[in-house]
This record gives sequence, C-alpha cells and structure tokens, in this order.
Amino acid sequence: MASSRRGGRARITISLLLLSAVLLLTLDGRGSGPIQSVRSAVLTVLSPLGGAASSVASPFRNAWNSAFDQGDLKKENDVLREENDRLKGDITANSIAKEQLQQLLQLVGIPFVGDTPVVHTRVVSGAVGNFGDRLELDKGSSSGIERNMPVVTGEGLIGKVVEVSENRSIVSLMSSGTFKVGFSVVGTAAIGIAQGTGGDATLRGANIDSRQAVSVGAIAATSGLAGSPFPPNLPIGTITAVRTNEAALESTVDIKMFANLNDLVYADVVLWKPAN
Amino acid sequence: MDNPAVRYLLIIGTAAFLQFTLVTQFRIAGVSADLLLVVAIAAGIVAGAERGAVVGFVCGLCLDLMVVTPFGLGAISGLVAGVVAGSLEGATVHSARWLTAAIAFISSGVGVLAFAVSGALLGRSDMLSPHVLTVMAVVGVSSALFVFPVLRVARWADPEDALLRAAVR
Repeated sequence: MASSRRGGRARITISLLLLSAVLLLTLDGRGSGPIQSVRSAVLTVLSPLGGAASSVASPFRNAWNSAFDQGDLKKENDVLREENDRLKGDITANSIAKEQLQQLLQLVGIPFVGDTPVVHTRVVSGAVGNFGDRLELDKGSSSGIERNMPVVTGEGLIGKVVEVSENRSIVSLMSSGTFKVGFSVVGTAAIGIAQGTGGDATLRGANIDSRQAVSVGAIAATSGLAGSPFPPNLPIGTITAVRTNEAALESTVDIKMFANLNDLVYADVVLWKPAN
Repeated sequence: MDNPAVRYLLIIGTAAFLQFTLVTQFRIAGVSADLLLVVAIAAGIVAGAERGAVVGFVCGLCLDLMVVTPFGLGAISGLVAGVVAGSLEGATVHSARWLTAAIAFISSGVGVLAFAVSGALLGRSDMLSPHVLTVMAVVGVSSALFVFPVLRVARWADPEDALLRAAVR
C-alpha cells in the first residue's frame, strides 16, 4: 500500500518536472529575456575560469589527443610527406591560380568585409555539450559586439554571435544544424538559403530557381538581401554538387565551406547590423 | 549541511564547474564525458527514480545554462537518465559492479537519446544524425567508469536512502 502511494507520488513528481522542462523549452523558443540574461550572467562568471582551465590543461589535452590519434598520425604522416612533395611542385601553379581568384573576386565585386569595422578576437574554448557547434571568443559587449553579428576568418564566414556577456561571446558555427544563411552564387542571379548539416564542413543550399545555371565549382557568398542578418558578399564556400528537381523548378546544392572550423585560434566579429 | 538537498546542490555545483573547466577539454571523436549526467544516474541508483528525476532535472538545467542548445533539453535528458537509472536499479535483485556499470551505460545512452529526440521534435533534425551514436557510446562508457566515484559522493549526500536500499537488498 505504502509502496503504491510512493510510486504514485514519484509519477506525479516526474510528470511535473517533465511539464516544467517543456515550459522552459517553450519560453526559450519564444526568446524569453530572463533565460538569455541568466545564460549571459553564467557565461560572465564561468568564462574566465574556463579560459584559465584551458591554458592549464593544454599540455594534458595535447597528450590526450595524441594518445587517441596515434594510429592515424603515422598514416597521416606518410600521406603528408607524399603530399608535401607534390605540393612543392604545385606552389607555382597555385600562386597563379590564387592571383586569378583574387582578380575574379574583385571582378564580381566581393569586397569581403570592406570598410565595416571588425573586432579581432581569440577563440577561448570550444563546445561544452556534445550537441550544438559553438565557440567562445575572448571579447564581448564591452568591445561593441552584439547578438547576431557575423563572425569571419580570413577565409570567409564561420558563424554568428548568439550570446554576449561583457567580455565573452558565444558563436554558433555555420556547421550547426540551426544555422541558416541566405546566399547568392557569384556570377549568376541564383539565390538560395544554406543550412548547416550538424556534422561536417558541408552546407545544404535550397530554394534555388532551377532556371538559374548553377555549376559545380561556383562560389557562394552571403546574399545580404533585405532583412538578412548578414552583410552581402561574405564568402561562404564552393559548390560541390548540384541537384535539380525539374518538377518543383528548384535546385539544391552542397556547399563546402571555405573556412576550416577545426582548431580555430582567431576570428573577427564584423560590427554589422541589418539596416532595419 | 545535513540536508540532502544542500549536499546535492554542492555536488551539482562542483560537477558543473568541473564539466565546464576540465571535462570538456578531453574529447574522444569530438565527444566529452557528461559529469552532470553521471550525478543524475548516481542519485537514481542511490535513492530511486524520483530522486534521480529531481537531481537529473537540476543537473540538466545547469548544463542548459552552459550550452546554446534549446533551454530545457538538458533538463529532459538528465531527468530521463535519473529515472531510468532508478528504475533499473530498483528492478535488480542483487548488487554487482558490472551491473552498476551496465545501468550507468544504459541510462546515459537513453538520456542522450532523449536529448537528441527532443531536439529533433523541436526542429533540430541534425541532432538525430549518426553522430548521436558516437555520443551515446562515448558518454555511456565514460558514465560507466565515472559512476563508481560519483556513487560514493551520492551516498554521502543521501545516507538514509543508501542505507535503506542496502538493508532491503
């Protein structure tokens, strides 16, 4: 009898907790201010500790990473030696290609960040959880950084600021499944929406008018259409696959990101806000 | 200080601090252990499903404050892990280390899956990618290892429940 009463109470407690969790999810989904404020406050308190711990743990972390990657390292070393020889021969050709690319980018009007001011930041730490790609930067609102500002490296867009405290910022990376960015294909009138896939360095681009000729190898850059949270012409990546659905008059593409999101050390926050 | 709630809050605070500063630095295949989930599982094993649910819920909220995934997913994950651990422990008729490790492995796996499924229901379909299997495996194995020291701490927080369960067994 007592056991049954206890079981009933446990079920009620668990149900109430589940309902509370659902309520919190709903409030967060609606962009509840208090939740964001508490997250920012926690970030402000914990970030300096996280930065210090990261520095202290660095030698142990490197040893840990070596231990778990040793098998791959030898194989990788052999491949790299071979590749190094090949690359030496390619340097000349690449420098020519690079010059041509620069000319092409200028020709099609990609000023990258242009005159927009940026804040140079250092990446303090990576993700805390096992889902959700994010980075923590060592500067925050005291440097003029605000939520939704784009974050770039020398190679192109990597994400946007999603949380800001006084001296720290959290960046949601492009690879995150929640990340969406409007893009245009350089040299064409094609526009679409690219979304992270939650895993590798490939984005999925959709909603492209199939009448627009989009080819593999073309460059995707932010479209910067009205209302977009990103300025125009930030390089995103190269189109690696194009699929056309004639019935729907729509094409989808795979975009390989220019920026390497692994082992980022520095990143620039573009101090840009949409006009509206 | 004799109050289990105060002791659990102390344990959860310490686990959150260690998770943020230390545990996340060490990753296998991009996945780190989840110390807060282990605390929820330990509470479930020591004091039953109800206590596991409450401790797991609070642990999950702490994790939610440190990540950018929807706020509440961690709470669901911790709650589910605590309940599963408490229920499995209650269903076993004898105690063995391998059984405790198995309960921790299964509970954390179910907790991670609850996180991913809830995320997918909220539109984060990427959370149900094959990556979730890696997360379940790494978090499961690390939970099975970490659960033993954390169980000692949970018994300190909940001495009456721990003694009662041992006596019943």
